[in-house]
Amino acid sequence: MKKIYFNNCLTSKPAPEVVDAMLPYLKENFYFPGNFIETGETIASHLQDFKEKIAATIGAKANEIHFTTGGTSANNIAIKGYLSANAHKGTHIICSVIDYPDLLTNAAFFEQSGFEVTYLNADWDGFIDLNQLEKAIRPDTILFMTTLANHTTGTIQPLREIKDILAKADHKIAVHVDACEAYARLPINVNELGIDLMSVSAHKFHGPQGVGFLYQRKGIVLGQFKHGIRRIDNLETGGISIAAIAGMNKAVELAFENFEENTKKIKELSQYLLRKIEERIPHTILNGPRGDKRAPHNINISFEFIEGEAIMMMMDLNGISADTGSACASEGLKPNYVLMALGRTHEQSHGSIKFTLSRYNTREEIDYTVNKLEQIVRELRSRSPLYNK
Amino acid sequence: MQYSQKVLDHFMHPHNVGKLENPDAEATEGSPACGDQVSIFMKVDENTHKIQDVKFLSYGCASNIATASIITDMAKGKTIEEAKKITWKEAAEELDGLPPVKMHCSVLAVDTLRKAIKDYEIKHGLAEEDKFSTDKIIEELKKVIYPNVGEDIVSLKMVKYVGFKDGTAIVDVEIPKFDKYRDNVAEEIREHLEKFKEIKDIKITM
Repeated sequence: MKKIYFNNCLTSKPAPEVVDAMLPYLKENFYFPGNFIETGETIASHLQDFKEKIAATIGAKANEIHFTTGGTSANNIAIKGYLSANAHKGTHIICSVIDYPDLLTNAAFFEQSGFEVTYLNADWDGFIDLNQLEKAIRPDTILFMTTLANHTTGTIQPLREIKDILAKADHKIAVHVDACEAYARLPINVNELGIDLMSVSAHKFHGPQGVGFLYQRKGIVLGQFKHGIRRIDNLETGGISIAAIAGMNKAVELAFENFEENTKKIKELSQYLLRKIEERIPHTILNGPRGDKRAPHNINISFEFIEGEAIMMMMDLNGISADTGSACASEGLKPNYVLMALGRTHEQSHGSIKFTLSRYNTREEIDYTVNKLEQIVRELRSRSPLYNK
Repeated sequence: MQYSQKVLDHFMHPHNVGKLENPDAEATEGSPACGDQVSIFMKVDENTHKIQDVKFLSYGCASNIATASIITDMAKGKTIEEAKKITWKEAAEELDGLPPVKMHCSVLAVDTLRKAIKDYEIKHGLAEEDKFSTDKIIEELKKVIYPNVGEDIVSLKMVKYVGFKDGTAIVDVEIPKFDKYRDNVAEEIREHLEKFKEIKDIKITM
């Protein structure tokens, strides 16, 4: 059975060109960077080229890019590093109830260590409350954190407006952005958006797993979070796979050489998916906004009167891979916290399915999926005591 | 985590799905807010008290549908006395096992079946509504499954104290502070005890 993959938010297929770009670094160029020896200098020069290329995609400079072992590592290095180095300026953090778990678990960790955290609310479509943000700013606020494209609903937070609000404060409030869902899907210019720190994960955009990068604006001081020997980076100490970094570099190249074409294609596919579902399946609720304020690859939709794990499994048995916000499929048996925070009922969260598309998906796959989905929803509703239509 | 082939078969092609017109007994347990709900409808022979037909509707995950399917298979043709004795462990075994985190689904299905039988017994003067006591609370807590191991919290000796005073049920449960299922267990206890009209307030200490 052919596999149709709509789980690119979880992880995405490494592009064949990425795998090819990695092989020489696994076979011949397996060295770590170093001085005065040819092997080390060659690798160092390659890494410098990669950094320059990556930096150019976000309007940054090469020396503002750190390679990391992934998005979560980048988030930890940024948040723990910034707060430990700047605690003397204040101990108040602002983020939101719908942020990515990396941000929320770090916020909770710092709350236990004496920091105060304001968790902003979000509206029905997943936009954080900017009035609340304005009121939350205090003289001791030192860090604002957000998830640029929400991992559940694809909602793109209005960073330009946020930048203006934060600028009204009479002191510096650093902005840390988790851009793991946003990078390579939305144009990001760190200067225009007022970003000081930003985490990116390669496997979300057809790069390899286990590698990512952190953008650190020049002048933003980070304390050392990971102690140890410096092999590749001064913040991500120890070894990082050079092959993985080279793979990420290739994935960046592929994403940005046809950036507009790629994102347009994905947007058209996801809009097609949404339109077909809404045309053919009654009683659905789109989670997240419509239009350009939504990440192009994300369609999150609740099917009323039925439960998402059952939908997800039936799709899986038909070769279609997608995700659900149902408690039955979650680790702690809780309904999706983002959807609950956006005012969805338990039932609506349980019945949600998240499709995250990539440039490798096709219209034919979507036609097949919607045909199957229509049958699955009809079948499960016929079994449901909640459905009397 | 994996489901057995039998769970998948019953999930994809469940037996006894639907509603019975003019059933002799029926019951619904769970709620959309709890994440799962099962309704069971029965036709029972008045003379032999044998379950002639039984159907179910399920709002729930794969294991919820599969357990409702197997439990209705198991009950069909049995007398109500025999059907009453079916346990959630037997239902799970009949499905070649369920992942521990999914055991509560078989509890819900068995619970719904028992409630439907009780409905029949009350309608036919074979039983009375149960009197309320702390024993009822303990019986109900035996339906709260600790998802880490798939056993109930009473058998696991996690329940340290149960009390009832002036409409308040008091339950003390031993569970590690950082256990990922801590909130889930508290919520389950609440959902199970809320259905007693005698209980106005629930105090859970952990």
